[in-house]
Amino acid sequence: MSQRDRSFDPMQEIMRRRFTRRSVLRGTGMGVAGISLGSLLAACGSDSGTGGGGSGSGGFDVAEIYTGEPGGSLAFANWPFYIDQAKDESGSVYNPSLAMFEEQAGITVDYEDVINSNEEFFGRLRPVLEAGDDTGWDIIVITNGRIFTALTVNDWVYPLDTSRRPNFDANAATWAKDPAYDPGNTHGMPWQSGLTGIGVNTEMVNGEITKLDDLANPDKVGLGMVGMLKYDMADFVMINLGIDPVTSTPDDWREAADWLLYQKDQGVVRNYYGNDYLDELKNENLSASMAWSGDVIYSQLWLQYPMEFVFPEDGALLWIDNMLIPAGAQNPVGAMQLMDFFYEPEVATMVTEWVQYMSPVPATQDLMLQDADAAEAEGDKGLANKLRASAESPYLYPSEEFLAKTSFGRSLETDEEVQEWDSIFLPISQT
Amino acid sequence: MGTRRRLVPYYLLSPGGVYLLIFFLIPLGLMVYTSLQSGGLLSGGFTFSWEFQNYADVLGSYQTQFIRSIVYSLIVTFVALLLSYPMTYWIAFYGGRWKSSLLLLLLMPFFVSFVIRTIQWKFILGDNGPVLGLLKTIGLLPEGFGVLSTPFAVVAGITYNYLPFTALPLYVALERIDKRLVEAAKDLYSSRWQAFRKVVWPLSLPGVFAAFLLTFVPATGDYVNASLLGGPGTTMIGNIIQDKFLTENAYPQAAALSVILMVAMVILATIYARILGTEEATRAAAAA
Repeated sequence: MSQRDRSFDPMQEIMRRRFTRRSVLRGTGMGVAGISLGSLLAACGSDSGTGGGGSGSGGFDVAEIYTGEPGGSLAFANWPFYIDQAKDESGSVYNPSLAMFEEQAGITVDYEDVINSNEEFFGRLRPVLEAGDDTGWDIIVITNGRIFTALTVNDWVYPLDTSRRPNFDANAATWAKDPAYDPGNTHGMPWQSGLTGIGVNTEMVNGEITKLDDLANPDKVGLGMVGMLKYDMADFVMINLGIDPVTSTPDDWREAADWLLYQKDQGVVRNYYGNDYLDELKNENLSASMAWSGDVIYSQLWLQYPMEFVFPEDGALLWIDNMLIPAGAQNPVGAMQLMDFFYEPEVATMVTEWVQYMSPVPATQDLMLQDADAAEAEGDKGLANKLRASAESPYLYPSEEFLAKTSFGRSLETDEEVQEWDSIFLPISQT
Repeated sequence: MGTRRRLVPYYLLSPGGVYLLIFFLIPLGLMVYTSLQSGGLLSGGFTFSWEFQNYADVLGSYQTQFIRSIVYSLIVTFVALLLSYPMTYWIAFYGGRWKSSLLLLLLMPFFVSFVIRTIQWKFILGDNGPVLGLLKTIGLLPEGFGVLSTPFAVVAGITYNYLPFTALPLYVALERIDKRLVEAAKDLYSSRWQAFRKVVWPLSLPGVFAAFLLTFVPATGDYVNASLLGGPGTTMIGNIIQDKFLTENAYPQAAALSVILMVAMVILATIYARILGTEEATRAAAAA
């Protein structure tokens, strides 16, 4: 692979316009019937298996899982538009980083962008995992949160062989190592990460949006013009009220709910979105919205929309998408190899230049600047500027000061907690 | 010989019967079974425990959305009937050799995915989209005016999406009416209006009934329109069920909601059939 393969291709811009990692319409309509039937069958099957595989016995022997040579192929499930892409001579789209891995490791990768939401993807896998069968995937990418917890406590993912990741040990960012939700990275290794902050359409707001309360101020954002992300808003509001979600109690949850109700009473909320807020922001149906950093930064820097990502004064929510190996996977050795491959700085840079999220490999920042210089030397000033803007973005490479103001969301550990949380927050978006 | 003969209808019935058994009755049974489970994902999964409390819980929490769905759906059905009846009447009686082409036009939207069609409305009806944007520029609408995220957008979206379900059964019923009956009525000195009221309308009632069921039942459970075109305050019961199944992983509650919705639909359809029961209604109208 030559360096040139990494160059940006107008095709990518066109595709990115409509679909970004999280703003793809979740399987609304199609496939839902199938999923619910699957869940039903699963729910039925769970009867016999109660207490069997579950209850976190952690009955895996790492040495036994990771033995021998890697298999000849592996299947990798990821989110749409979450890896580098380029076109080969014949014009078909491929993933340069994966092609590099295939060549080096001699393992064929079946990469599919089939995950549109943690919950929906999990809903599809759960019956299989519960029955103790192979899901067909060797690597899946899941965000920290309740699905991640459900996978680990039920032993539905393999523990990782921590001796098989030299690149990770050498190159991973401090925030990517030993996260609170996965001590010692025993189950997952971060793929990419990002912030939930505020996305602003600069032509639609009055004055500057700097803090959470601005999202409840009709003078600034207008009536019925604010988007909220229903799965992130509880944690996001808590952080901005000065509460650390990680250690929050139900009383703190109610405080956040009170703010959300207050905001709703102001008449500013247009909708509570799952993930399809970005087009609304571009189409001027929203003036400001809770937003994921990469979505907004890409739209602003690379597509030139009048948009801006705001890191609220009082903090933002940090999330990490993790690579996991589902229990029963056929090629865990190969999976470990691939996961570590993406911690080589050059490889990580290929991904980051494309996806514009926070890379778990800080060395990508310098490499991106080097690529910018190289592009400039070749006369591609536009590309050089874009690469430089990305490399210097505090949202791709947040400072310690920034990170100090972020927190992970509350990780709900028991069914009682899940129920209480849901009973407090669901009535706000489900009205 | 005689036995075999008597069995023939059952043989003929068996493919459909087996299909229904596998794809309808068994899932239905599983749904009821799931709705009586308790437990959670983080504590070893769900177990069957005759948990009738699920029903009480969801009914208590979501009656607003239940009622809203039924109200929206009734409006949709009424509007769709109002729009379809004159249209299909015209096609059936005056369509002539264009009948098939006109019907094809009616079905045209069906060739595009349901979701894509609905998303298009989002662009068309956007606050600064081609319609509202233009009207705002020429000063016919105030700046802050919007259609999306309102109940109106949701009801209009559902009406648009289900219109062919209303129109087709109506067309079939109207098309089957013997035109000579209308002529006969006129020969007997009825006015056009009387001919319609006493001949065409009663004969088309089975079509109205079918159109009602085919529109009302799926429209009540619709969740695509509310999630794409709606806003806070337009959530329908289908959205709740979808959220429960796919995002909260609260399978028993989702199943309980589905069972309640199904039973409610059956009851409403039965009442409707009693009131406007096709045969009685036809006879009554004919006698009047």
